[in-house]
Amino acid sequence: MIDIKGLHKDFGDLKVLKNIDLHIDKGERVVIIGPSGSGKSTLLRCMNLLEVPTAGQVIFEGTDLTDPKTDLDTVRCKMGMVFQQFNLFPHKTILQNMTLAPRYHKLMNEAQANETAMRLLDRIGLADKANVYPSTLSGGQKQRVAIVRALAMGPDVMLFDEPTSALDPEMVGEVLELIKELADDGMTMAIVTHEMGFAREVGTRVLFMDEGTIAAQDEPKAFFENPQNPRLKDFLSKVL
Amino acid sequence: MFEALKEGFIRTFIRDNRYKVFVQGFKNTIIITLTAAVIGILIGIVVSLIHALAQSARNKKRKTPGAMVLNVLDKICAAYVALMRGTPLAIQLMIMTFIIMGGFPNKVIVCCIAFGVNSGAYVSEVIRGGIASVDIGQTEAGRSLGLSELATLRLIVLPQAVKNILPALCNEGIAVLKETSICGLISVVDLTRAGDLIRSRTMSPYFTLITVALIYFILVFGLSKAVGRLERRLAQSDRH
Repeated sequence: MIDIKGLHKDFGDLKVLKNIDLHIDKGERVVIIGPSGSGKSTLLRCMNLLEVPTAGQVIFEGTDLTDPKTDLDTVRCKMGMVFQQFNLFPHKTILQNMTLAPRYHKLMNEAQANETAMRLLDRIGLADKANVYPSTLSGGQKQRVAIVRALAMGPDVMLFDEPTSALDPEMVGEVLELIKELADDGMTMAIVTHEMGFAREVGTRVLFMDEGTIAAQDEPKAFFENPQNPRLKDFLSKVL
Repeated sequence: MFEALKEGFIRTFIRDNRYKVFVQGFKNTIIITLTAAVIGILIGIVVSLIHALAQSARNKKRKTPGAMVLNVLDKICAAYVALMRGTPLAIQLMIMTFIIMGGFPNKVIVCCIAFGVNSGAYVSEVIRGGIASVDIGQTEAGRSLGLSELATLRLIVLPQAVKNILPALCNEGIAVLKETSICGLISVVDLTRAGDLIRSRTMSPYFTLITVALIYFILVFGLSKAVGRLERRLAQSDRH
């Protein structure tokens, strides 16, 4: 589904990603962990080209996103993204937040878009918030709305960039719960997170990034219980 | 004392229908201010739009012909802004009158254009600052939902930027109103010039100059109050 080949990303002199190769299959849930500054968010943001790679290819469902001729806007309709800071549109109601993109792309008419949005809001128990503005929601509610806003586009893959890092501790659970539900539905995901328990529970594969490279990867049980890479061992001993 | 005031009033306003000169001057001041403000806003929008698009083209690092044209236009706009801000308005007005539009009979129109072109530089900076004040996450959220560059600007960024732009724009309008007082340099009878004409006839500076100052003050103070109210109104919509 996503094929990353020889990916490099520099910010000026700083080499953030160094020759990354990564293949994500349909239905996989790849969790990316690692120390801050290791390039994990940059890698995720390269997947939908919010960050333009310095070199290398990102191929999604057979389309090379790094080809200048590719219409990224169309490709991004199939890739949902959830941000650390939620990034709901503060000048739009919750319902408008959710229907904006589907309406813009003419995927649905107004009635269909509203119906889809309400069904998704109902699913997360926030149907009564449809006509309020984001500023009245709690952090956990905002992030759950941000997730279903991405889902409203009917994406094939969801990218989560530290979805719980900006939340108060008591709100982390509700957001992780929603992501787990998506996982159970078979959604393909790439998740950058600091929640190790969650990584282990929801991931089908865990990546450890260190200094711009994928230093280790394995299925969760082996990854956490029997780490081989010394840096990973060191990292896990600090965070677990 | 009262007699002297009465005499001064009559000499300044009543004799030879001198109030008509003030009315004429006031009319010209208003015409020039409003027209210059409209011209300034139009130029400002175009310049800041070019800047926003050129910048995002630079971020994408794609060297398409369109991007290169934008880059050149952006450079020209930057030079224009630097020139307008780096030279005295009085000189700009004279250059416009005697060089660029030399021989153009209607000097009021020359004033409108000179002040408008000058104001455009400041307006473009106001708009640029307003756009920059919107969190980059808003743009990223828009783009990740497949909205194009322009659609993100139009639907997501600008509606939020307006909150910061509008009050600053009104302040720029107030500044233009005060700046028009140099129209007399090219013999256009604006409010200031009208006062000066009457003063030179009556040889009594008090009534004329204080009247003129008072009219400017009432206009500027009233507008400033209105801007303050607008700012509070816009701030309120943050909270909903």
